[in-house]
Amino acid sequence: MSRFEGDFLWPASVVAIAIVAPAPGAVAATYLTVEAAQRALFPDADAFTELALAPTADQLLSITDASGAQAPHGELRVWAARRAGTVVGHVFVDNVIGRADYITYAVGIDARGALLPVEILEYRESHGGEIRNKRWLAQFAGRTTPAELEFRADIKSIAGATLSSEHVTQGVRRLLAMWQILIRPAGGR
Amino acid sequence: MTNAIVRSKRTSGTALAGALILVAVAPAARAATEQELEAKLDALATQVAQLQSELAALKAERAPSATPAPAASTAAAPRQVADEAPKLDWFGYGELNYSRPSDDGSRAVADVGRFVLGAAYRFDTRTRFVSELEIEHAVSSAEDPGEVEVEQAYIERAHGDRVFGRYGLFLMPVGMLNENHEPTRYYGVFRNAVETAIIPTTWREGGVAFQGNLDNGLRWDAGVSTGFNLSKWDATSGEGRESPLGSIHQELALASAGDLSVFAALNYSGVPGLRVGGSVFHGNSAQGQPGLRDNDVTLWEGHVRWNPGKWELSALSAHGRIANTAAVNLPLVGNPTLIPAEFFGQYVEGAYRASLKNGWTLAPFARYEVVNTASEYANLGFGLTPDALRDEKIGTAGVNLTIASGVVFKFDYRDFKRDAGLRGFDVGVGYQF
Repeated sequence: MSRFEGDFLWPASVVAIAIVAPAPGAVAATYLTVEAAQRALFPDADAFTELALAPTADQLLSITDASGAQAPHGELRVWAARRAGTVVGHVFVDNVIGRADYITYAVGIDARGALLPVEILEYRESHGGEIRNKRWLAQFAGRTTPAELEFRADIKSIAGATLSSEHVTQGVRRLLAMWQILIRPAGGR
Repeated sequence: MTNAIVRSKRTSGTALAGALILVAVAPAARAATEQELEAKLDALATQVAQLQSELAALKAERAPSATPAPAASTAAAPRQVADEAPKLDWFGYGELNYSRPSDDGSRAVADVGRFVLGAAYRFDTRTRFVSELEIEHAVSSAEDPGEVEVEQAYIERAHGDRVFGRYGLFLMPVGMLNENHEPTRYYGVFRNAVETAIIPTTWREGGVAFQGNLDNGLRWDAGVSTGFNLSKWDATSGEGRESPLGSIHQELALASAGDLSVFAALNYSGVPGLRVGGSVFHGNSAQGQPGLRDNDVTLWEGHVRWNPGKWELSALSAHGRIANTAAVNLPLVGNPTLIPAEFFGQYVEGAYRASLKNGWTLAPFARYEVVNTASEYANLGFGLTPDALRDEKIGTAGVNLTIASGVVFKFDYRDFKRDAGLRGFDVGVGYQF
């Protein structure tokens, strides 16, 4: 009996520490709101105008070709970031399946068509939570073509979060393809 | 292009509005003659036609891909994109394999090693249920070798924005395979020997676990769980020699739970391509059973994986200890398998992932392992203490051919230094969805 009690103190203290550790009052697994992500990606922009994408069948085919394999996606929203009326970039907020549930992430593409670091808005399952790592997300920055987003070669896999890191990489490739095919200004690169 | 479309629409809109005003005003302008009105209408018609053709040209030139969304949605405050994810999600994995020892074809075996279906259900944004149901070796009945197992069944709850809690039957955050044990995740037809014999993958316990991920790439895990039960040790079989902890694990099947265990793990993947971490598990395996006392099981391990370019290099070292085994072993002397005081295993592995033109990935790999499931026995006195086992050294070389994300064909050859009869070829196919 005394042995049991002695052993139980250990676990109890671990539980106590784990429960006390989280910051109180935070929203569940929501790291960034859409608004905050927009501001983080384009701090100089003074307006974000939501766009409705309406690709033609041909454009859809081109996007699919350029995107490669994709995990299931959820809702996608797109905004043009403007500063004094001039478009300085675009913000995509996409949902892609990580392992079993959606990861909500934001992708910024500047006016030249270069990616900014990816932002994770919401992660809904503990498995693969390593995807929040800022340095992993920074790997996307500066890349301008879907071909520069090969998983494991250009964008490293995260051991322990392989599916999540692969699916987000695929998703960013799709968004970059969308930007190039649907949004890229004529005469742009 | 968006701007161009917006501008052209604005121009045509102004023209049309102007036209409407003109048309509305026209009846009131009684002074205007019929001829003048006709002329004006003609001019307007021409203007409209011009605008239409301009629009058509613009459309043809730059397809109508992105247009501002309706004012209502732009004006609305940005809402969090969320919760359209399916509430219920099905997933699964499996592996089918064929093993052929080099020197004895009669021991060749073909098997549906694992067939696993999982379901996850999301109750709300913070609360999920996760489960996996596994069938090993295809058929489970009194006469067949198969097993049906609930591999995972837990409630997961997000606490705050940095911590997840798991409540129920969950996988232990130990080593590199245990939580990521699907066949697409490892090289070789079979899981490595260290994370089979020393870490009893797929190792799960019942209890409470917490996990947190920091933005700098640090992940921590800690929890309280059921543990091992040393009274399950069968000295008459070789099971304990194959995997000391695998032979006394309880898998939450009416598990004796008088003694709880604790565990903690720390992993760092802050540098893209690197993962380094370790874990410790500690708990009494006596479970209040007769003849057992203070038989603490401690398992600790460290691991590292590094991806330079297309290379994937891994290493892992795991050590286990069972305390106060002498008193338990003494009455068992004479049996083939006594309880070891210590056991360990380590491996290094290298793989190169070559992308083929058709989109497949061909990954040749090699792995070298040293495993000893009884590297030390507690002293029972002269003539009674069993000799420690010799280290088993296993060399594995082969290829993983990934033909689709989630489908892998595998081939390898394994060389065992101590148990040479196990040497042979393996072929397998694995999937995960």
